[in-house]
Amino acid sequence: MLHVSNLRKSYSEGSSQRDVLSDVSFIINRGELIVLLGRSGSGKSTLLNMISGMDVPTTGSIEFEGQDLTNMSDTARTLFRRKHLGIIFQSFNLIPTLTVEENILLPLELTGTANQEQRQLALDVLREVNLGDRGDSFPDRLSGGEQQRVAIARALAHKPSLILADEPTGNLDFRTADTVMDILQRLVHDERRTMLVATHDRDIIRLADRVLELQGGKLKDVTPAAQHEAAQKEAAQQDVEAADNASPGV
Amino acid sequence: MALSILGVALGVAVVVGIDLANSSARTAFRLSTETVAGRATHAIVPGSGLLADDTYRNLRADSGLRNAAPVLEGHIRAGSASGPVLQVLGIDPLAEEPFRSYTGGPEGELDLGAFLGPQRTGLISRSTAQGLGIQSGDDLTTFREGKSSSIRILDIIDPDPGFSEASLENLIVVDIATAQALLESPGKLSRIDLILSKEEQGDKIAVLEDVLPPGARIEAASARSSTLDQMTQAFSLNLTAMSLLAMVVGMFLIYNTMTFSVVQRRGLIGRLRGIGVTSSEIFGLILGEAAVVGLIGSAIGMVAGVALGSVLIDLVTRSINDLYFTVRIQDLNITPLGLAKGVLVGLGTTVLAAFAPAREATRTMPSTALRRSEDESRLEARRGLLAGSGLILGILGALVLRTSGESIAFSYVGILFVILATSLWVPFLVDSGSRAVRPLMGRLFGVVGRMAASGIHHSLSRSAVAIAALTVAVAATSGVGIMVDSFRTTVDTWLRYSLEADVYISPPGMVFRRNDATIDTAVEERIRSMEGVSETYSVRTAHVLIDGRMSDLIVTEPRDSDLEPGRYKELPDFDHREAMTARDVVMVSEPYAFRFGTQVGDFLEIATSDGPRPFEVGAIYYDYASDLGVVQMARSRYEFHFDDRQVSGLAVYAADGVDVDDLIDNLTSVTANDQGLLIRSNRSLRQASLDVFDQTFTVTAVLRLLTILVAFIGVLTALMALQLERAREISVLRANGMTPSQVHRMVTTQTGLMGLLSGLLSVPLGLLLAWLLIFVINQRSFGWTLQFEIDLMVLGQAVLLAVIAALLAGWFPGRSMSRMNATEALRFE
Repeated sequence: MLHVSNLRKSYSEGSSQRDVLSDVSFIINRGELIVLLGRSGSGKSTLLNMISGMDVPTTGSIEFEGQDLTNMSDTARTLFRRKHLGIIFQSFNLIPTLTVEENILLPLELTGTANQEQRQLALDVLREVNLGDRGDSFPDRLSGGEQQRVAIARALAHKPSLILADEPTGNLDFRTADTVMDILQRLVHDERRTMLVATHDRDIIRLADRVLELQGGKLKDVTPAAQHEAAQKEAAQQDVEAADNASPGV
Repeated sequence: MALSILGVALGVAVVVGIDLANSSARTAFRLSTETVAGRATHAIVPGSGLLADDTYRNLRADSGLRNAAPVLEGHIRAGSASGPVLQVLGIDPLAEEPFRSYTGGPEGELDLGAFLGPQRTGLISRSTAQGLGIQSGDDLTTFREGKSSSIRILDIIDPDPGFSEASLENLIVVDIATAQALLESPGKLSRIDLILSKEEQGDKIAVLEDVLPPGARIEAASARSSTLDQMTQAFSLNLTAMSLLAMVVGMFLIYNTMTFSVVQRRGLIGRLRGIGVTSSEIFGLILGEAAVVGLIGSAIGMVAGVALGSVLIDLVTRSINDLYFTVRIQDLNITPLGLAKGVLVGLGTTVLAAFAPAREATRTMPSTALRRSEDESRLEARRGLLAGSGLILGILGALVLRTSGESIAFSYVGILFVILATSLWVPFLVDSGSRAVRPLMGRLFGVVGRMAASGIHHSLSRSAVAIAALTVAVAATSGVGIMVDSFRTTVDTWLRYSLEADVYISPPGMVFRRNDATIDTAVEERIRSMEGVSETYSVRTAHVLIDGRMSDLIVTEPRDSDLEPGRYKELPDFDHREAMTARDVVMVSEPYAFRFGTQVGDFLEIATSDGPRPFEVGAIYYDYASDLGVVQMARSRYEFHFDDRQVSGLAVYAADGVDVDDLIDNLTSVTANDQGLLIRSNRSLRQASLDVFDQTFTVTAVLRLLTILVAFIGVLTALMALQLERAREISVLRANGMTPSQVHRMVTTQTGLMGLLSGLLSVPLGLLLAWLLIFVINQRSFGWTLQFEIDLMVLGQAVLLAVIAALLAGWFPGRSMSRMNATEALRFE
């Protein structure tokens, strides 16, 4: 479904070039839930920017269901994103000038072609995140957990093929984070969606099919989640402090 | 910050520009008055018309007057009938030396034989000669009242010590006899200059007054230079007030920028507080920053103001020349004081506008950095309080307006209160308005429309100030527009019923509204008896001493239409027209009654040829030709009391069946050889009058445009600030599939809506300002009764102007937002 090949992204720093991503290649299959691990500065943000089409790589290609994003114009990538992607941010990033319902309908509304049935399906998602009665509220009236649930609903409402989530529980307390992840997993699995989650939350790893780990802009490891979890548990036993000090940001 | 400096600079430029134009006009007039007065301490001046030149001879012979010099002054045009105006100074070189050394005198190098000889000769300054492209020995063709003449330039003169070259600008010095010939005033003098020492002033003046001809009086030389100030006081003050309006609008802009600058650096301020910087030091820091903005803006504004002043001076001079007196200004009078005023206004306004943001900055606690959303919530909570304060300020403004008596300056203070009161209502109205239109915007433009409407009340602290600035600027424009329209309609209506004759004839004069030029008596007789002319009546404009002040006396022949009561503001219970021809009864114009508090039944002391006589005020009539006020007298009484039979204008009725255009052609051919007269149809005179009216308001139009420009920068600044603040939101929208063109459309829709709200809010404020300008400012400045004409077109244009200004201001930020690198702002955290 998503085929990333030899991805490289470099920035100019004076007269020299600095690689933020270097020779990154992987494949994500339909229905998979992938967790992307990495410390701060490892290149997770840059990779998500490339996959979402918000930025373009220096070299390499990103093919999504046969379409190469790197050959598209900015507007074409935007239209692609609007149709195929749902994005969940750590800071929820709801549009403060729109109500909850309008936030959820935003990607559909932007197409200008949404019909009543599509709108109804989108609003159903709001009910599925247990916020059916808050459609008319503005985001600043909601708690953090509620805002993230709205953000999840917005990312799923237009039935995207791929969901990108960036530390979806990073700003939530433990219990709320659990609830949010349960909802997210249920909605993704029920409809066999594909999701790439960037996180340092090890509880999420247990939900993943595979784990990708970035180190210094290079893909260090692509392992099945169970295997990765076992290895990590062992490592964690040895160096709990190192794991705790890992940056929460990606 | 750069835009803020630009806003201050524009405001200062307008204030400095107007101040320079006003003060240059004043200085030019004072300089010319002082130059021609020379070292004279006093002057004998006539009560009306001119002095007979034997007055001078008699005074020297009978009263032993030594330090006295006769003067005949007037104006001519050089080169052509529409050429530059020269001030003629006719002198007696033998009496001149104690008075004006530049005139050469008997001890100077002046060739007295040639100067006093039969050939008309004159002296001019170097710069005037250069300006006219002539030199010593050349002949200069001159024009006056439609007749041409020639003067040989005898020599070039230099100014008196202590006077600049500019003091002799446009002056031509001639012998008295030459002046009498040029100005067609044989045997006449304008005045007799005197030098009286302090010791002899009291006694000598008393002795002289006993032997002066009837009506003549002794006037201190300093009294003449204050004439301009008195005449143009209201005119100058109103222009200054308009220029200050640009600065008021600029205040909103500075307030917005400084608030933004504080909000943007809350974190930094918090950290500074954390390391021990006190709140008063923070306060000082922000005010200091504002002072730097004010200083830089003022410095740029002063330079721009000088440039603007040189443009405005032409417009101001033209208006003064049309309405008051002849003055020619070539140089801007740039003084350190004038520029210091600009700095003071710029700096003062900036610091005042930054006061609230600076105070706000001191409230930043070391432990917290407030978020913008909290600012917005706070403003949202305060909008009711602000509206309440606006109500109180409005009431205070009304009280100031009501209790300020006749003071124009205090009236403007009252108007400023009203403007600020309205501005305080803006957050409440904008918040309610943008919420109310949100559903409609959603229906019209979809989610983009809803976001545009919500964006306004969501960032109220930013948008409300921008909308307030634009509202005030547009309201001022429409308010002044309605006032000018109302004024124009009133003048047009008045002209329609005042100008009844078919053709109007007058000699070309120097001052359009105060034309005292005369028609040659032979030419007048020929016109009156011409075939095709059924009826004529004459008008004479004279400058006469009335109640101790030189005033304009209009002398007319009675007409049937004079009996229409609609022409009068106040009428007596007797037939005033009959009384005016039978006894000493005059009428005064509405501005005259206003300026001097004259009422029907009062008596005015008018200096006639036989000395001062009391005249009863029979009526107060509407007149829009002169804001200085005029007194009207019947021709028969004038001829009875004054030794003057000349006419300044003739109104001619065409006989039945005679075509007016043919009549004008005939009149032109009959008079052309004797005097070049202005012969105009009823319609073209009315048009010429309205053209002068329009020209008078050109300065106002320029100022209105500049005020809008300042407001435009205000909106632009606010939108640029919003752009920085909304970077994340725009990135999220882009991440969710909003295309760059949709971002641009959203910003454009929002700015368009901001413009629309400004335009709609400007309508009631504009109407209120128009009402105040017509019924308070105009009344207190000139005393005119004006119709209040609301032209829906003007209001529509105001709304359109606001929308266009906002859309233009939003174009660049919209473009930047749509091209913004979304990843930079979002960074996927």
